Amino acid sequence: MGTLTIGTFASLVGSMNLDFVVKLSETALDKGHEVNLWLSGNAIMLVNKDQKEFKDYSHPGIGLPTLIEKGLKVVVCDACAMARGVPKENAIEGTKFTSMEWYIAYGAKGDRMLHVGG
Amino acid sequence: MSMGLFVSDLRFDEETLTRIEASKLGVFFVENGVYHAVLKEDGKSSPFLDKAGANFYVLNEDLETRGFTGDDVDGRAKVIDMGELVDLIMGDYEKLGWL
Repeated sequence: MGTLTIGTFASLVGSMNLDFVVKLSETALDKGHEVNLWLSGNAIMLVNKDQKEFKDYSHPGIGLPTLIEKGLKVVVCDACAMARGVPKENAIEGTKFTSMEWYIAYGAKGDRMLHVGG
Repeated sequence: MSMGLFVSDLRFDEETLTRIEASKLGVFFVENGVYHAVLKEDGKSSPFLDKAGANFYVLNEDLETRGFTGDDVDGRAKVIDMGELVDLIMGDYEKLGWL
């Protein structure tokens, strides 16, 4: 088994990339791999725990707590979150806030790194 | 170096793909990128599929979401599920990129 580090700055709304990233993470976890997920830019909204689920509206964040319980490491760009008014208190439990150095370090030491654009 | 390249849109920016050199290259059509494997324009398939020596894969769930089946897919591309995608990127392709 290996370690997959995924980074993305895709928007929660208006892009399917976050949906893809969450499904890829879940599948890799289910296969026994370690998965690190770095969220920066508008992607940090994925961890906002106060989101509402609408019918016919993509909501990839709803399954995030389960994935964190399975071992998914979710790490948010601290500055990106502050800039968007999302404090740690509003984040899904288990989310870590830090700087981009974390992403570079985990990407370098993992087996695979995938940076998904916006 | 082996490389897996994700194509997630229908933009015809194949120049990037043309410049990539890898000992083994896998091209993964996901999201709107699956259109590269199923659509033709003026009778011609996507130039992405002309990349010599590359292995082409199409994510089945993104294909079905858009109303296509495996029967619609160009013969050069293989339809895979998310589990197979994970196996390929963790086992066969050392470096990963996203277009």
